[in-house]
Amino acid sequence: MAKILEGPAMKLFNKWGIPVPNYVVIMDPDRLAQLGEANKWLRESKLVVKAHEAIGGRFKLGLVKLGLNLEEAYEAAKEMIGREIGTSVVRQVIVAEMLEHDEEYYFSIAGSRDGSELLLSTKGGVDIEDNWDTVKRLFIPLDETPSIEAITEAALEAGFVGEIAERVAKIASRLILCFDNEDAQSIEINPLVIRKSDMRFAALDAVMNIDWDARFRHPDWDFKPVSEIGRSYTEAEQQIMDIDARIKGSVKLVEVPGGDIALLTAGGGASVFYSDAVVARGGCIANYAEYSGDPPDWAVEALTETICRLPNIRHIIVGGAIANFTDVKATFSGIINGFRESKSKGYLENVQIWVRRGGPNENQGLAAMKKLQEEGFDIHVYDRSMPMTDIVDLALNS
Amino acid sequence: MSILANKDTRAVIIGGIAGVNAAKRMAQFDFLINRPLTVQAFVYPPEEGQQKEIYRGGELNNVTVYSSLAKALDENPQINTALIYIGASRAYQSAKDALDAKGIKLVTMITEGVPEKDAKRLRKYALETGKIFNGPSSIGIMSAGECRLGVIGGEFKNLKLCNLYRPGSFGVITKSGGLSNEAMWLCAQNGNGITSAVAIGGDSYPGTDFVTYLNMFENDPETKAVVIIGEVGGTLEEEAAEWLGKEIRRIKVIAAIGGTCQDVLPQGMKFGHAGAKEGKKGLGSARSKINALRAAGAVVPDTFGGLSKAIKQVYQELLQNGTIKPEPELDEKLLPALPPSVQEVMKQGDIIVEPLIRTTISDDRGEEPRYVGYAASELCEKGYGIEDVVSLLWNKKLPTREESEIIKRIIMISADHGPAVSGAFGSIIAACAGIDLPQAVSAGMTMIGPRFGGAVTNAGKYFKYGVKEYPNDIPGFLNWMKENVGPVPGIGHRVKSLKNPDKRVKYLVDYVTNQTTLHTPCLDYALQVEKITTAKKDNLILNVDGTIGCILVDLDFPEYSFNGFFVLARTIGMIGHWIDQNNQNSRLIRLYDYLINYAVKEEREVPEKK
Repeated sequence: MAKILEGPAMKLFNKWGIPVPNYVVIMDPDRLAQLGEANKWLRESKLVVKAHEAIGGRFKLGLVKLGLNLEEAYEAAKEMIGREIGTSVVRQVIVAEMLEHDEEYYFSIAGSRDGSELLLSTKGGVDIEDNWDTVKRLFIPLDETPSIEAITEAALEAGFVGEIAERVAKIASRLILCFDNEDAQSIEINPLVIRKSDMRFAALDAVMNIDWDARFRHPDWDFKPVSEIGRSYTEAEQQIMDIDARIKGSVKLVEVPGGDIALLTAGGGASVFYSDAVVARGGCIANYAEYSGDPPDWAVEALTETICRLPNIRHIIVGGAIANFTDVKATFSGIINGFRESKSKGYLENVQIWVRRGGPNENQGLAAMKKLQEEGFDIHVYDRSMPMTDIVDLALNS
Repeated sequence: MSILANKDTRAVIIGGIAGVNAAKRMAQFDFLINRPLTVQAFVYPPEEGQQKEIYRGGELNNVTVYSSLAKALDENPQINTALIYIGASRAYQSAKDALDAKGIKLVTMITEGVPEKDAKRLRKYALETGKIFNGPSSIGIMSAGECRLGVIGGEFKNLKLCNLYRPGSFGVITKSGGLSNEAMWLCAQNGNGITSAVAIGGDSYPGTDFVTYLNMFENDPETKAVVIIGEVGGTLEEEAAEWLGKEIRRIKVIAAIGGTCQDVLPQGMKFGHAGAKEGKKGLGSARSKINALRAAGAVVPDTFGGLSKAIKQVYQELLQNGTIKPEPELDEKLLPALPPSVQEVMKQGDIIVEPLIRTTISDDRGEEPRYVGYAASELCEKGYGIEDVVSLLWNKKLPTREESEIIKRIIMISADHGPAVSGAFGSIIAACAGIDLPQAVSAGMTMIGPRFGGAVTNAGKYFKYGVKEYPNDIPGFLNWMKENVGPVPGIGHRVKSLKNPDKRVKYLVDYVTNQTTLHTPCLDYALQVEKITTAKKDNLILNVDGTIGCILVDLDFPEYSFNGFFVLARTIGMIGHWIDQNNQNSRLIRLYDYLINYAVKEEREVPEKK
């Protein structure tokens, strides 16, 4: 899943003929004045200014301002840009035309194993959750395009009437095209508004997830997906992501502030079970981390150093299943270097390290890890005969 | 018995180096259980026609790489399984081709990062064609004692530790590849091992599901219980629970589900697997899966660590009620050991291999090259220059500052001597003929010999001989040379003479004798020789080759390295000439007729061949 921001989503909507309001994305409030000179809509319409960032709950944080004229929009943009929210900073705002409208609709489409599902409701806007029973669903089998008649019928069943139903069906059919052709995973438009006087529609707000793995066949994707964890990535997370993008295999990191058990675990599957074990035993994890696919030792070393720097940690769980082809000796040498480097910089004071691992060259890898005891590390090393997540129990009972 | 892969499985691997590595691992398993090679062909267009060396134990097999699946199957009609090891952008087409191929029943894909839509289409296509598409992101399929597809099971030692050389009674289905191996180990340690293990991959829309394989295991009489390892996201585990609860099943189901920690983690957080993500309103949460499986009668421990106990408990029950009959364990010592490579045995010190070559000057096995022990970067860092590297690699010692200044000057004054001399001219002709730099410089290089630039070694050698054998007897030395060698190398010049001295020689002699403290017995000797030879004839001066040769003797360089100084220095000039000609776009050179004396026979008729 890769969420993209409103700006890029609007651009893709435009490409597929889904009506969007006029909008601009800016980084510098002064640019708005110049854009105002060039664009009549900026001068004459009511405007909405929103932080163009992956920040959850923007409305409550004052990062969405409605019903503004150009001057007020300038002030709002100036106020928002540069604001720090937790670990993230507002760098861009989107300024859009606030279309005067009569009704708000709900449109969405999401992928499933056998195709996708289109959802339509006449009761869009903030109350959609309360009106979930009004949503009409239309299943679209994989690689099939429903006829405009079928969509119109669904629209009628959803409560749209007359010409509006026809127009809604047309927009929905374009939404399906956009979904299919852009390798989308889900698109939610809420609200899709209508101004009945001139039958103008516009997608005022949209959340779009695309399949980032499909980027090789989308040369016009000039954007990057944004953080999906309701906050911006931290500097450390970003660094690990940058390494991940460069290497064979993978390294991953998500920080969880407040925890005291750090995870330095191997494998997409095993790492989750380690997190579970910590939580099940009443511990608090300081992060989620994973390396797999036989990554180079320097990448594992970088991940190790990042994890050693997490604040207030008491334990590090160096866990993993019995690897198929990840070289335990090589990846452990990266971890060992990371530990040494961190210790020399004053980290790992009073931190206990718990190791359990198997796989290619396990004996050499575990022996090298065990030798760290001689260098004054508080490290406990176990081989495959120790049940995988039981080192978590040992750590928490120590 | 087994599911999916068995003794009759014959596979093609579609992909490059990763596929070849997998084939090597698979051949280790083939060797362990003494079955024919599983991988019979590769498909990888860039390497069409190559043979890949695959060892089954000590037996070397050459497996052919084909440009297309159709060609591979034409020549190997016995193939019934395809493994996709190719990059994500081509994975879909490769898998579709394989599903289209008549003889292929099973396609399993290790490729990660395959677009969801592609995976969905492949799943649908496999259902329509009645075949199995396993993956993407699957580590493979293992049937104990029968067949290994992919690198599942890890290294050779682990195959034995997990009892994979003979079938047990447990089936394994996991999303994760790493945990498939862990689960096989748990089944061997706490039970009697596995029948088959399948990794379905951790993507959002895998080509198969738990239910497909649960049905297969249910129909495999040797499988008595199945361990499934699932995780948060999707509904495959719920479907497995539904399958289990629907009717009385022959097989026991033990499960572990990852992702209960989701509650305390950032909303929408992604784990290592693309599919491990909770949906809206708790759909596909680990908790709901665990509850569904427990309600359907599966044994689901609290943590993964509890799986050992759960398997042991089920195994004991199955033993007690007679479902599993205990069989005598094989003596592991009777199993074959993988023949080690020469490197491995050498590491253990069990054999001696005589080295083919010996080096005493440089070593790049570490992080950077070391010249006679010194790291190249450290030499740079401490202010050493190219002349010091020359001394290290040619004479194995670091020169003093004075010595290196002399070496530097020798190289500088020998770097070029204009375009007319044979070396430069050779390079220029080659450059004009459009020949590339290395070959054009080699053309100039071939000119270096007894008449051009190649006298340094011999000059040094014979003056050194004179110093030793005729220290105070230069006429005696000249006599000996006349009788045994001929003209003295390093003496004489075509153009230069006593009245028209070679400035390079004058400078070098002056520099070495007046500006350094170098002890120069050989150079002094040669200068004495010159006094006598020039008295006979004006142009029998000590030439630049002779001067350099003597100085190098005095610098204690080995004799046979002397010509190297000329070769090294003149390479700089020859490269310069090649670049110069190319800059000017020079045209091909052909000698004019008037520059050639055609001293040939008159035109005449060719006689009939006898």
